[in-house]
Amino acid sequence: MSPNYITDEVKQLIGRETDWVEACDPVEQGAIRRFHQAVMDDDPIFWKVAEAAATRYGGIVAPPLFPLHAFRRPSGAPDPLNRVSGDPDFDGVTRDFGLGLPPVPIPLPRLLNGGNQVEVYQLARPGDRIRAKSKYVDIYQKEGKSGVLVFILVETVYANQKGETLLKALQTHILR
Amino acid sequence: MTRQQVYFDDVEVGQAVPEVRKGPMTVAHIMRWSASMENWHRIHYDRAYAVEHDKLPDVVVNGSWKQHVLMQLVKEWVGLGGWAWKVGFQYRDMDLPGDLITAWGKVTKTYEKGGLGYVELEIGLRNSRGIESTKGTAVVILPRRGGAKVPYPFPVD
Repeated sequence: MSPNYITDEVKQLIGRETDWVEACDPVEQGAIRRFHQAVMDDDPIFWKVAEAAATRYGGIVAPPLFPLHAFRRPSGAPDPLNRVSGDPDFDGVTRDFGLGLPPVPIPLPRLLNGGNQVEVYQLARPGDRIRAKSKYVDIYQKEGKSGVLVFILVETVYANQKGETLLKALQTHILR
Repeated sequence: MTRQQVYFDDVEVGQAVPEVRKGPMTVAHIMRWSASMENWHRIHYDRAYAVEHDKLPDVVVNGSWKQHVLMQLVKEWVGLGGWAWKVGFQYRDMDLPGDLITAWGKVTKTYEKGGLGYVELEIGLRNSRGIESTKGTAVVILPRRGGAKVPYPFPVD
């Protein structure tokens, strides 16, 4: 009999939603460059000023899924890497699933990216202040080949400083 | 910018979209992505941790990177006059250093709504070991020949 990880404490998190949270930095040209280089997409709309200006975007834009990764650790926030040397089990990532949602109290050690669904409405531009609002849509467990898998579904809406929707995402995190 | 625009009128079910290839992937490519997004998950750069602690065959290519490759596939196909609206991904297997990764797509359905052409696609990533590591679907909007421009920003439902 597998342990039941979906305790009342976990169930209470389903439906929990954050307020709007703003990314610590505005969208920067340098961040767009590192990003498009790392995904190996040299589309001129990400870096060629005159060419991008002649498109419907009217200027340089960030790759479509850039907002998913716009939320970094603000200056002054605790450094999660302090745990690496003292805790051989620590995988380098926190379990708060970012964006101000409370942690899911499930003592499973491994985190996997299960996939996601995105809807894109507008591309972020340099100078944009990206904000996001997240919600735990569902948390459930299933029996996998190698034991219990816990699925955590987080829905996030990303918007710019004018309140215009950039992107909606439904992310599946898997704990095992 | 001179890119060939694909039009809804010319699209047929079963049609393949031009593939996008990346790699062979190395630990350096994986590290560059992890650093650019400040993701310090050790399974992407600490081989001892990945293999001994997490029982993985090696460090693994980030799922978050793979979704951008699929997004690129769709974005390139619809061009500057279309819109890559909805894309979904499910990670079925791992991609590892040494893998050459091919993103592919195939049209599964076409329909018109509000004067715009909607196209549904099956998409995926296949690596050079023959593994279909990522499966997904996409919904894109294409202009019609002589028809209205696809609106930008794309209207929220």
